[in-house]
Amino acid sequence: MSPILAALITVGILVGIYGVVAIALNFQYGQAGMINFGVVAYFAIGAYTFAILTAGPPSETALDAYRWGFDVNPLLAALIAGGVGVLFAALSGWPALRLRGEYLALTTFAFAEVLQSLLINVPAVTNGTSGFSNIVQPLRGSVGNYNVFLLLVSLGLLAVTLIIFERLKRSPYGRLLQAIKNDELGVTATGQVPERYRRQVFFLTAFFVALAGVIYVVWLTIARPTSFGAEITFFVWIAMILGGEGNNWRVLAGVLGLTVLDELIGQLPVRSVRGAQMLQAGQVFLTGLLFVLVLRWRQPKAGS
Amino acid sequence: MSPFLQLAALGVAQGSFLLLASLGFALTRRVEGFLNIAHAQYLSVSAFVTFFLNNTLGLHFAGAALAGVLAAIGVGFLVGKVVFEPIRRLGPAVALITSVGVVYMLEGIIEIAVGTGSFLVTLPRLAPVRVGPVTITFYQVMVVIAALVVTLLTAWYLERTRMGTAIRITSLDRNLGASRGVDVRRASNAAWIVSSALAGIAGVALAVLGALTTTKGFEQILIILAVSLLAGVGSISALAISAFAIGIAREISLLWISAGFRDIIAFGIVILVLIFMPNGIAGRTE
Repeated sequence: MSPILAALITVGILVGIYGVVAIALNFQYGQAGMINFGVVAYFAIGAYTFAILTAGPPSETALDAYRWGFDVNPLLAALIAGGVGVLFAALSGWPALRLRGEYLALTTFAFAEVLQSLLINVPAVTNGTSGFSNIVQPLRGSVGNYNVFLLLVSLGLLAVTLIIFERLKRSPYGRLLQAIKNDELGVTATGQVPERYRRQVFFLTAFFVALAGVIYVVWLTIARPTSFGAEITFFVWIAMILGGEGNNWRVLAGVLGLTVLDELIGQLPVRSVRGAQMLQAGQVFLTGLLFVLVLRWRQPKAGS
Repeated sequence: MSPFLQLAALGVAQGSFLLLASLGFALTRRVEGFLNIAHAQYLSVSAFVTFFLNNTLGLHFAGAALAGVLAAIGVGFLVGKVVFEPIRRLGPAVALITSVGVVYMLEGIIEIAVGTGSFLVTLPRLAPVRVGPVTITFYQVMVVIAALVVTLLTAWYLERTRMGTAIRITSLDRNLGASRGVDVRRASNAAWIVSSALAGIAGVALAVLGALTTTKGFEQILIILAVSLLAGVGSISALAISAFAIGIAREISLLWISAGFRDIIAFGIVILVLIFMPNGIAGRTE
């Protein structure tokens, strides 16, 4: 396969994965006005649940620190991973969703940091800093090109997510969420309980984000704490704001643009380690600059 | 008893650093009305300018540190004026999201300038200070003294000077202040300068207390958040109590738990305070 085609497939897989997270985030922020700065936590929960459930028993020789591997069927494991994502949303949402605006942002951010810290510090469950490698790739032998297969799975999940959240957005339910975002007191006065709806949004989106996390680790074949830092949260946030929050298609365009930019920069030839560092640093700077400029000139209405 | 006292002393040094780091953050939160998480990057700016001038150009440490603080003031003021002021009216949530972009920009610049790895500011070796069973380094003592002096100066500036009064009025009600003849623009400028200077001093403290990495400044943000949320709004003494409480608790906790879990405690404090004590120990609302 030509390298260009391979790169395109990589972009497609990543757009599928990040697209799902971005649509979920867009539902939380664009529709319901909730700022989640810890979305990577739900992603990581899905990924690690899948990794732990499908892992074989720990081996003495490989210096495995984890104690339990379950050898669960991958499809079942993926579904359970989604469920555990919802469970974690319940656990973190119960306290966090009493808060609004930037305080919700902080609490979710803190939850994600706690989770990453736990991934490192509870090796009996997560295998510590080395995490899991050789993660099961279901149907590996029975499909032709595995990356093409993953591309289809990832875009399939994206399509399902898109359809569900587009329909929800246009439904009376979606309008109710919009009303809560714009005038919470008014909605309360009609006898509705906004907090209940916010919780529902949290649960529903967590399921899809966790599934995206599963595809992510199946693609990477490794799950390490370092892969689940705040960078993922902010990558998706930047893509969402760049595209234009509120509109799922524009958000996906933002994801596509940012992913392509990332891949292009990754393809640039570098001659030295220092050059690679500079390039990466330049990319970080550019991402931040884009973010600031977009927020400055597009001037979203949320939060005002 | 001895390890307990030793850890408590280290906690006091840690708490002093936290106080320096969160004073400016709290001032911005109060005056500009949003949580500027890029504040933690101003620490890095100052720390790396200090490192560069001291280690590479061989400047005296005091001069390097002064330049570091000035660099932090320059960056903080510029970002405040160019990035944050135009989006003031969009509310605190948009400002917070924007500050994430600033974090990335500054991180990119710092990494372009210094690369990655670990950096240690070379300082003259001075004898550690021994008080009874407790031994702490000369530089830790300096950080404690600096925190006390700087905090008292800040309190004096805000409480006793005309500009300090203007800053306090601006933080309470910008429009009312402006209509009563307070120059809120100048007060806001002064607040940006003071908070960035405080970040700069905290950055020098960070450089003195241990090895630097390019992400070390930003890694302080959650604990800065923990300190200022625990403190609540509007009281420097509450901020000091909260900084020392968290600093000492973090060190003493090493007696029972491993170092890896220490940060979880800080994050846990953020979560618990937000849920059960949203107004902090000062008990006032915004």
